[in-house]
Amino acid sequence: MILEIKDVCKSFGEKVALDHINLEIPEGQIFGLLGPNGAGKTTLIRIINRITIPSQGEVIFNGRPITQRDVEKIGYMPEERGLYRKMKVGDQAMYLAQLKGLSEAQAMAELKKWFKRFEIQNWWDKKIEELSKGMAQKVQFITTVVHKPKLLILDEPFSGFDPVNADLIRKEILRLKEEGATIILSTHNMESVEELCDSIALINQSKLVITGRVEDIRRKYGNNNVELVYTDEDGRHTEIVSVEKDTNTTLKEILDRGVTVNSYRELMPRMNDIFIKLVKGEE
Amino acid sequence: MNLHTTGLIIRREYLNKVKKKSFLITTFVVPILMAALCVVPILLMATSKDKAKRIAVVDQSGIVMSFLDSTETIVYEDFGTFAADTLKKHMRDMGFDAVLSISPLDVKEKSVIADLTSIKPLGMTTAESINHRVDKALEAYRIDSYEIPGLEQIIKDVKGGVKFNTYTMDEEGKETISESGVISIMSMIFGLLIFLFITLFGGMVMTAVIEEKSSRVVEVLISSVKATELMFGKIIGVALVALTQFVLWIVLTAALVAGATAFLPKDMVGQLTGTAAASQMADPEALAQMAGVDASQIAGIDALSLVAASDSTAVAGEEMGEVAVVLQTLQNAPIAKFVILFLIFFILGYMLYASLYAAIGSAVESEGDSQQLQMPVTIPLMIAYFIALYTFNAPDSAIAFWGSMIPFTSPIVMLARLPFGVPDWQLAVSLVLLVATFCVCAWLSAKIYKVGILMFGKKSTFKDLWKWLKLK
Repeated sequence: MILEIKDVCKSFGEKVALDHINLEIPEGQIFGLLGPNGAGKTTLIRIINRITIPSQGEVIFNGRPITQRDVEKIGYMPEERGLYRKMKVGDQAMYLAQLKGLSEAQAMAELKKWFKRFEIQNWWDKKIEELSKGMAQKVQFITTVVHKPKLLILDEPFSGFDPVNADLIRKEILRLKEEGATIILSTHNMESVEELCDSIALINQSKLVITGRVEDIRRKYGNNNVELVYTDEDGRHTEIVSVEKDTNTTLKEILDRGVTVNSYRELMPRMNDIFIKLVKGEE
Repeated sequence: MNLHTTGLIIRREYLNKVKKKSFLITTFVVPILMAALCVVPILLMATSKDKAKRIAVVDQSGIVMSFLDSTETIVYEDFGTFAADTLKKHMRDMGFDAVLSISPLDVKEKSVIADLTSIKPLGMTTAESINHRVDKALEAYRIDSYEIPGLEQIIKDVKGGVKFNTYTMDEEGKETISESGVISIMSMIFGLLIFLFITLFGGMVMTAVIEEKSSRVVEVLISSVKATELMFGKIIGVALVALTQFVLWIVLTAALVAGATAFLPKDMVGQLTGTAAASQMADPEALAQMAGVDASQIAGIDALSLVAASDSTAVAGEEMGEVAVVLQTLQNAPIAKFVILFLIFFILGYMLYASLYAAIGSAVESEGDSQQLQMPVTIPLMIAYFIALYTFNAPDSAIAFWGSMIPFTSPIVMLARLPFGVPDWQLAVSLVLLVATFCVCAWLSAKIYKVGILMFGKKSTFKDLWKWLKLK
């Protein structure tokens, strides 16, 4: 476990933002942090980053309570993000990289690499205000990952990107995972959760509703339906079959009908439907 | 506090501000203005000297003309008892600037009436110089009329030694010559400068905080550094900008004045070096002698230009004495002490107000929204400024004393009191109170700042700020 959230509570005056949250985030995974607006996701992320101090409970990073030094091993791209508009791209990236503990030489070397990878070397001396929003987001992404964080926290990383650049970022996220980084992805985009996340946690109204592997959760909330494609004398058919006992029994029943089975596929509920079901169910 | 990251924040803040065009402009324009303030009056005198005023004199009394010696600046031409009205009519054609008409001597009153008619106003100095000479002529006539031999010498002897000098005495009984007009002006300038600087640079901190918040870079930053590091990094960075600006202003102004002096006509330079020589004479008695009972008119006029530059209230005729006293007062003022205390009070006053400005900046997303929240900061500053203005009239009043002790007004009021002399214990008490208040305010501001910078999309009120203060 790279990160453990142990019994974390946070209240702002009367308002409870987090209510006894327990979470475990395994190393090397992409972990989806889901929940409707105002559920407490951002507060939890800020607690992990030590921006906010929890009222109760603790955050364990690499087996020890998290310290300010550990924050250097985290890369955080907040939802409310931006850069100094009047500062040059290069200066700004250097500044943020050095704040994350890189030396000037290291920062320069790493940044050059990233700028080359994103093919934006010629932006170095431009001011942020001269860039489009999507371009600025690219710079923002670089400044988040330049110090090779072990833990990457991305809050709505795809907002502001066009499909081409969103795809670029998606690939980069997967590449960083390959290289061993753990990534917490907070998003409302359920498609990207299905595509990218290994595990998720759903928070609603300050409470943890569910956490676990995406596969397990989808299966759990499935109706045990399968999609069957078969051929008989009338031609090709597609049918949704409910698995009542187990797969073998169901298949046997189908084969007993004397049809030719073309394909048999377990039907998983969409994350979107699970999300809506769980959040609505709470209310 | 992490020194490395705080250092990075300070550096960014500093370089960012110093590289700005507006910084360069103010850095260079202000010294030009200040140098102009010093040099232009002298230059004006230098150029006006080229065209001496021509004055046609109709002296019906017969006693004045002999006292009207032409100088570099005023040329008198005797028209005997020519009709003054005719002269006035043709004054322009004849190339005269003015007609001085002296009435026949009133033997009973031992007096004359002098009418000076000019096309354009002659200016104070010329008129006063003429008036002074007519007075002299009458004085001489009256002395003669007593028919006492040697009376003129007696009166000269009686009058001559009197030169009124004011001194201030410190606790050790050391006397220093001082001129209260100069001290009042110094007081006013100190008060105004520190008020302007605190508002200017404090406001700069607020703008920087708002910029970080509205550009949304702030949450990225505080995921790397602590909010308090960010706040103090900003405050210290701007303080360094202020100090840089001070040093540049002083150096550039000095350089400009020196440069401009080099281009002045030779006699002007001589005059300035003469002034320097005068200021080097520490002995007030020597100065009084130099001021001279019988200041020659030329010296009088020359000195006048300097008086005009430094103290317009100087009375013609005693110009040299006035200038000497002004310069002596300036020289006797413990300039080094003033500069050091100015910097200490500026830095502390700035830190106090900058921390409050930072807290306000953290609560808003645009400068327009900050107006209302700024009130509790601008009001004490304004009060302090008004007390400072009052101080230069009444330096020992209770309001000036308390104003210079209460931390929110003390940086400004104390600076206004400084030229009048402030006991060391009062300076110490004021500084201790100021530092203590700064610590409390910085702590409270940091609490507000920490919460405020992460509050988006809602206009904050005092109630919100109060709520944030109470949050753990």
